[in-house]
Amino acid sequence: MSHAPLVELINLEKEFAGTKALKGVSLSFASGEVHGLLGENGAGKSTLIKILTGVYSPTAGEILLEGVPVRISSPPEAHRLGLGAVYQDAELVSSFTVGQNILLGNEPGRIALNDRAMHDEAARILARMGIDLDVRRLAGNLSAAEMQLVTLATLFHRRYKLIVLDEPTARLSAAESEVLFRIIEGFKAQGIAIVYISHRLREVQEICDRATILRGGLVSGTLNRGEVTEDRVTELMVDRNRSELTTFNTGESVLPDVALEVTAISTARLAPLSFHVNAGEVLGVTGPVGGGMEELARALGGITRHSGSASVRGKTVALATPIQARSAGIALIPEDRRKQALFPSLSAAENICLPVLNSLQRLLAVSPGSMRRYADGVMERLAVRPPNSSTQVRFFSGGNQQKLVIGKWMSAGAAVYIVVEPTNGVDVGAIKEIYDIILGLARGGAAVLLVSSSLRETLAMADRIMVIHDGAKVAEAPKKEWTYDELLAVTLSGISRRAA
Amino acid sequence: MHPNDGIGHVTKVDHQTSPAIAQNVARTTTSSGRKESAAMRFLRRWGTIVVIVLAGLGFAFASPYFATVSNLNNVLFSMIVSALVSMGLTWVVMAGSFDLSIGLTVTTSSILVAFLMPIVGPWLAIVIALVAACVIGLVNGVLVTYGRLSGIVVTLGVMFVLDGINVFITGGYQVPIDYGETAFLYLGQGKLGTIGVPVIILLVVFALALIAATRTRIGHYIAAVGDNPMAAFYSGINVYRWVILAFVLSAFMSGIAGIIVTSISSSAQPVGGEGYLLEAFAAVFLGATVLGKGKPHILGTLVGVFFLYMVDSGMNMVGFPFAARHIFQGLVLIVAVGANALLNREEVHLKFI
Repeated sequence: MSHAPLVELINLEKEFAGTKALKGVSLSFASGEVHGLLGENGAGKSTLIKILTGVYSPTAGEILLEGVPVRISSPPEAHRLGLGAVYQDAELVSSFTVGQNILLGNEPGRIALNDRAMHDEAARILARMGIDLDVRRLAGNLSAAEMQLVTLATLFHRRYKLIVLDEPTARLSAAESEVLFRIIEGFKAQGIAIVYISHRLREVQEICDRATILRGGLVSGTLNRGEVTEDRVTELMVDRNRSELTTFNTGESVLPDVALEVTAISTARLAPLSFHVNAGEVLGVTGPVGGGMEELARALGGITRHSGSASVRGKTVALATPIQARSAGIALIPEDRRKQALFPSLSAAENICLPVLNSLQRLLAVSPGSMRRYADGVMERLAVRPPNSSTQVRFFSGGNQQKLVIGKWMSAGAAVYIVVEPTNGVDVGAIKEIYDIILGLARGGAAVLLVSSSLRETLAMADRIMVIHDGAKVAEAPKKEWTYDELLAVTLSGISRRAA
Repeated sequence: MHPNDGIGHVTKVDHQTSPAIAQNVARTTTSSGRKESAAMRFLRRWGTIVVIVLAGLGFAFASPYFATVSNLNNVLFSMIVSALVSMGLTWVVMAGSFDLSIGLTVTTSSILVAFLMPIVGPWLAIVIALVAACVIGLVNGVLVTYGRLSGIVVTLGVMFVLDGINVFITGGYQVPIDYGETAFLYLGQGKLGTIGVPVIILLVVFALALIAATRTRIGHYIAAVGDNPMAAFYSGINVYRWVILAFVLSAFMSGIAGIIVTSISSSAQPVGGEGYLLEAFAAVFLGATVLGKGKPHILGTLVGVFFLYMVDSGMNMVGFPFAARHIFQGLVLIVAVGANALLNREEVHLKFI
């Protein structure tokens, strides 16, 4: 039966509020195959994976598992059908040992647990994977990379038929990536299908038997091993027909003075790097997800411990805590809006006014009226819909929530705005408005650091572009020197082909 | 000349550095888990026990009656009900929730057994009381999981409801046990040699609970669910089932406590059960610091209860007023848990429950 595909997707469509994320994808994954999945942001990769693992259900189309149509209604259902996934943020029980985590849910013994048998079995699994790790260590003390490897080890007992690996090397070193590739070879030998999502072309060339490139919600091509070349992939990935974004930063707002100067900033996952941003300038920071660009944003926002120095408008500042970063004039607008930037059960007005409460207060009290007037003004300028400042934030759409986050910081008068993935999860209609708001910040004299994995967005919005790959800066140049294809090639390979 | 720096040419950075970085990460994180000194490690593991031993020695010096077998017997006897309730609560806190209804579950089971004994006889009365306790736990557990309510809210509500029912059944008066029920009264008042029967019951329940918690799936999965429910969910563990079981075990142990307290005092009291609740929380969180686990466990809880009652007895013998004992117990709880938190420092602390 080796010729029949294990999983077959037929004409899958998925629509979100009128926008089609998938427009009829037909694909098949065979047993014992490593199948690479490539595509720009918004091409439909994550939607496809979420359908496979039961998070979303498709609007139209069919999924066949071993030739039989199946409905994957929830993640546990996917689990039961033998479809599993390892996501970038690995989940382990931190107070359990490595061994207990590896066998969680599949412990040997009926009622009584045999602690020694459990740890012996875990040690055998790790030895087979070629990982040198003490099974008695607590998971909470592991490094991020070790956690990732332990998470992979848990797959050995779950009897999956298909495993989705989403950017599995994002947290691994070169040596650890080799371990991962050996594990994948092991899964292949057992006849498990692997769907391998990566932005790193070298990995795809090395381990994938086939690679499918998605573009604009459609399959633009499937390449066999050996056909995966930078040129072919770039050609299939770039959507020539997609209308160019109507917003374009022409760069006239750039002022001659430096707003943010960063010297040799480094964290545990970021090699020392230096750069500066002028007032009125937008610096685009791009690269593969997990490659270090988010780490830079978190370091500058005072969230991640770092070394190196920074100065804002010529004054050296300390950025050890979010409070210090804030008073230094740096506003961080994080990617995970709901968790890190908004208070979902408070009203829009309460959210917007939070950073400026001091200036709104009279005699230690803030009147609801002055809060509402201020919030209404901000919401009108940003065209937030519905224009009702007393509505709780959780009732706004993703795009309007993003406007509220920006609105929250806008009039707080920061010198530097760090905006991370501003259009992630934002409805198409609101994207242009958000771009205009961000460019408005720059026109107002602020420096903007736009951290985004979307190349199109970076090329439209930035004055200069810096690429961060594997925790290091690999290229930096003014926008006019970049073409889309070249930027794509650098973010995929991490190698700048141009001479310095 | 900053504005021209980096503009006009592409900066190339050697990307071979990156694997070294990642390996560095692995190394530093590993060592930060291990770099504590031997003294710190000793304190983390044995700190609470050392404090208990020191307090015991202090009382032994201050009073000649403290370090005697009969006083040990007294302490053990007085802590029986509290120990059972606290061990029950341990399951729920392990599972990551709270149970405020345990005190009233003791009262309810006590009243039920006293009330039913003349009607159905002692043994059936005990069975019905224990089943009723389990039903209380089941209701708590189902509302917290399938009902999606917070453990604090649910068990607070159940606590009020039980209080109302208890007062309604008894009319607010105590329910006496007939002196003829010698078999039932033996459970709380009998002796095997020099050891009280209820002390033996406590030790048996403790041994069973300890085995269930450390050697079986029950303790293993309840701990997994309490620590990281998402990881448990993705491992194919039925998370709800184990949370419900934790609530049932908690209520079951409170039910046993209710039967024993009825036997000890030859009557059921309609009020006063709430007192066990606060003691139980103190014991569970004190117990979490025992052996440096940092999370509740059955053995630690028993040690915690023992400490609270030992201090009670010691301060009583030395002549401290009753009020001083509570002040001391409260301070010990905060200092022990605080010292433990200092030893297990997290990078950012943003949890205030």
